[in-house]
Amino acid sequence: MCGIAGFLYRDPERTGPVGATILGLLDVLGSRGTDGTGVALYGAPDGRGMLLRVWLGETPNPEARAVGLAERLRTVALVEGAEVRDDYVMIAVRPPHGEPASQGAWMAALIEAAEAGGEGAVFSAGHTLQITKAVGVAAPLGARYGLSGFEGTHGIGHTRLATESKVDVAHCHPFWARPYPDIAVVHNGQITNYRKLRRLMEMRGIRFATGNDSEIIALYLAERLGRGETLEAALRASIAELDGTFTYLVSTAAGIGMAKDNFATKPLVVAECAEWVAIASEERALSAVFEGPLSIYQPGAGEALVWMR
Amino acid sequence: MDALAAGGTPIGVGRIDCAALSTREINRALRRASTEGVLSVSLLNPQGRHNLAVGLVDPLGIEVEGSAGYFLDGPRIRVRGNCGWSVGETILSGEIVVDGQAGNSAGASMRGGAVVIRGDVGARAGIAMKGGLLLIGGHVGYMSGFMMQKGTMIICGDAGPAIGDSMYDGRIFVAGKVEQPGTDAVVEDPTAEELRWLDETLLRYGFPAGGDFKKIISRRRLWNFSKKEIGVWIEAL
Repeated sequence: MCGIAGFLYRDPERTGPVGATILGLLDVLGSRGTDGTGVALYGAPDGRGMLLRVWLGETPNPEARAVGLAERLRTVALVEGAEVRDDYVMIAVRPPHGEPASQGAWMAALIEAAEAGGEGAVFSAGHTLQITKAVGVAAPLGARYGLSGFEGTHGIGHTRLATESKVDVAHCHPFWARPYPDIAVVHNGQITNYRKLRRLMEMRGIRFATGNDSEIIALYLAERLGRGETLEAALRASIAELDGTFTYLVSTAAGIGMAKDNFATKPLVVAECAEWVAIASEERALSAVFEGPLSIYQPGAGEALVWMR
Repeated sequence: MDALAAGGTPIGVGRIDCAALSTREINRALRRASTEGVLSVSLLNPQGRHNLAVGLVDPLGIEVEGSAGYFLDGPRIRVRGNCGWSVGETILSGEIVVDGQAGNSAGASMRGGAVVIRGDVGARAGIAMKGGLLLIGGHVGYMSGFMMQKGTMIICGDAGPAIGDSMYDGRIFVAGKVEQPGTDAVVEDPTAEELRWLDETLLRYGFPAGGDFKKIISRRRLWNFSKKEIGVWIEAL
């Protein structure tokens, strides 16, 4: 099954308790999958540069690993600050000599430095995006990672029922569209032409970080967005080119999009009002979080939608 | 929790506040009400919960004061909200009326009774229907009426692609657009008698009579395999 959720304030200037909202939706959607929970949250831009969200692995001393990580990053970036919380660190970095000649090459160097020696896994990078994910259900995440108090502009989340790949933190959703900043995907379903598509994409030089079929959606969309396609065009192309069952959400710094396969195999319910858009696999998640009768819409087979801030 | 759920004396009309109860507790209270002669029960704060009112065999009116989740089922139900997937799936008799929308597979494999949705429904409404009436006030999604075998579907809005695909028998009436009938489904004009019946049925459930209804039935070319019609089979499969 898997559960997916999203929330966005339409007013681009507005921020609010996005962390608590998404976790509230995921708490109900936990019955669709208890193997993992994750969120991709977007804060207000704070000028701290590029934020790297790195999982420090299973270690008794995450602070020591974070120090080592910062040292490695200093070879390719200016480190502006670091914040360790449990097994994650958030590190703000800047290019060492103004804007890099190639953003892609710099991102690749950052990832390589961060993940050297297997002492860290970069789960997201971006100016406002931060991904947090863990094995298990939603309830403990709020306190463990300080997500309940997260103020931001929008976000997406996922509860996982593992079907195609192993149960560990790296294989939980959301998936960052590495190395493109600020893009994340959550997916309900299976991509049945994953291996074939992955081979073709790897031949084009695209690197995969996990063996989870859902990761390919993030990389597929990012490749198209990187070529200058609109989000809507990329979503439409994915419906034709991805095979299998899917309803997925993609988030960028600018908004959220959704796409559903041509057989409408996976659910999605959208509630919209003038101020915000809330999205969840099931209406009961929305009614648990939002008061009063909701005006809902259920996207149909082969439908793609985009909501921009 | 109120008197019914607590096992109190049955009354003519009961109320159950779902907020603090498990689905099993709610359904047990409904079952007790149905066997003890309660006429109707209101379910308060349903919050889109799944599996409400399933497995009831005795008559009981149920008013769901909000939205229900997946697999809503029961002898006589009115939902003052929306429904999730598979409302009224495989029901044998009774009547379910939903004021709002419903998800996929509304009335799937139903054998009798009536399922009425005032709003739009998702994909595969009435798939493998084996009897009864499925009445949709709005639009229906992809592949509705797929492999339908018996019974009647009335769609006041538009039919999604592949409506009536591979249907064996039964009738689908559509007032809105039919842009892409399914394999072996054929669009015809309803008879005068069918139009009269449509008006009666629509009025009975509070919909306006009239409307430019088309009828979709099986062309029956998939009933028996014939080598001469291999093209039909290749297309169907």
